[in-house]
Amino acid sequence: MGEHHIASAFDRDLETIQALVMKMGGMVETAILDASQALESGNEVLAEQVRRNDAAIDALELKINEQSARLIALRAPTATDLRIVLAVIKIASSLERAGDYAKNMAKRTQALGQLGPSDVISSAGASLRRMANTVTELLSDALDAYSGRDLDLAQDVRSRDREVDQMYNALFREFLTHMMEDPRNITPCMHLHFIAKNVERMGDHATAIAEQVVYLVTGELPDDPRPKAENVAGFDKPAAG
Amino acid sequence: MNDMRLMERELDSATARMTARKVQVYYGQNHALKDVDVDILDKTVTAFIGPSGCGKSTFLRCLNRMNDTIAGCRVEGKIVLEGEDIYDRRVDPVQLRAKVGMVFQKPNPFPKSIYDNVAYGPRIHGLTRSKSELDEMVEKSLRRAALWNEVKDRLQSPGTGLSGGQQQRLCIARAVATEPEVLLMDEPCSALDPIATAQVEELIDELRANFSVVIVTHSMQQAARVSQKTAFFHLGNLVEYGDTGQIFTNPRDPRTESYISGRIG
Repeated sequence: MGEHHIASAFDRDLETIQALVMKMGGMVETAILDASQALESGNEVLAEQVRRNDAAIDALELKINEQSARLIALRAPTATDLRIVLAVIKIASSLERAGDYAKNMAKRTQALGQLGPSDVISSAGASLRRMANTVTELLSDALDAYSGRDLDLAQDVRSRDREVDQMYNALFREFLTHMMEDPRNITPCMHLHFIAKNVERMGDHATAIAEQVVYLVTGELPDDPRPKAENVAGFDKPAAG
Repeated sequence: MNDMRLMERELDSATARMTARKVQVYYGQNHALKDVDVDILDKTVTAFIGPSGCGKSTFLRCLNRMNDTIAGCRVEGKIVLEGEDIYDRRVDPVQLRAKVGMVFQKPNPFPKSIYDNVAYGPRIHGLTRSKSELDEMVEKSLRRAALWNEVKDRLQSPGTGLSGGQQQRLCIARAVATEPEVLLMDEPCSALDPIATAQVEELIDELRANFSVVIVTHSMQQAARVSQKTAFFHLGNLVEYGDTGQIFTNPRDPRTESYISGRIG
């Protein structure tokens, strides 16, 4: 909102916390992009860097939580201020999880590197890179929706997560085929499947952030069921996530 | 401390004890209160909040006709208690104030003993028939005001000799002694320290079991802590009235939002 608090320190505290969230968002986006690039190009040095950088993301979440607790204790925020703080805590938690998935992706990239080069890995690497790019866009849009209090963009992110679900379903079938063709593909495909699942989960976290934006703007969480396409081949019900 | 309050916060009543419709108040030419519609619910704490001069105290004082004593003050509209318009000519304001009690900002005990302070109302309204009945009434009221244990051994000492917090609880005991249906409180804690404030707030929550309580407060946190319904007044208008939880997490009107979150509105 355009108006300022009478206590200007309140505004400063709120802005500081929100700047930390945007910084954390930027770091997580970088981690996802780097991890997917490391996977596609088999760059284990970059993968190691992603793993190491995760500690900074975790530290930032801690800092956001501490400052939010302090703001609640000292300023007793109400209405939009309160919703900002609540949304910030949840968004930071979603970002932290997404960062962990990127770290796990880097870890599996290193494990795949030990297995030696294979066609399966390089073809899946390209698909996973595209999937990660889509997820990064979702995340970036969710954070833009947050900083701009943009309800339409937030709803857009919620509906676009379906694309990621479909990419995951396609990869799932592909990995299944590879594994049935040749049992030697099982180890790399298991790693690749976990990566695909993790990227799909990152998309869910982008959606969760978009839902927090809806809450922040309207005061209510969206109650319509989110569009989903995570219906894994061969199962009538969605596979347990 | 008893932190189970959140559990008890739900409204257990939806019946209106008092209803105000289209209430207008004029101080001479000044139109101080415009078109106020409010239901004061049974067994509920209703908080009136708003900046100074918004009309919240004026409206509170309409509820037991305290404005009658102010020269040039004119009240229009309808305020109904138990099916009866309290501004009807046949209503005796003194009887009305026995049903709609009031506690003020500064503790104002009579310069009498603790006992006589509490016994005053029942005596003038002839509510008790014997000395023992009156004793019972005094004890019950002091217990309700959470003051009995502190004063039971010195009921004959002057009420003005108590501490500020005790004096305010004495005034509450005095107000509840006439078994009112509605208790009006105008900034009851503004002259009290945090401990006494907490005691009075706890008391308000307990009084809710028997009375409707209406409290005017400048402390937003106090309104949030003690009330189930909140009404926000601004420039003589009732801007928003709703569940306290909703007002403080998701107010509908931008003026409410600006006020409760401490912005320049």
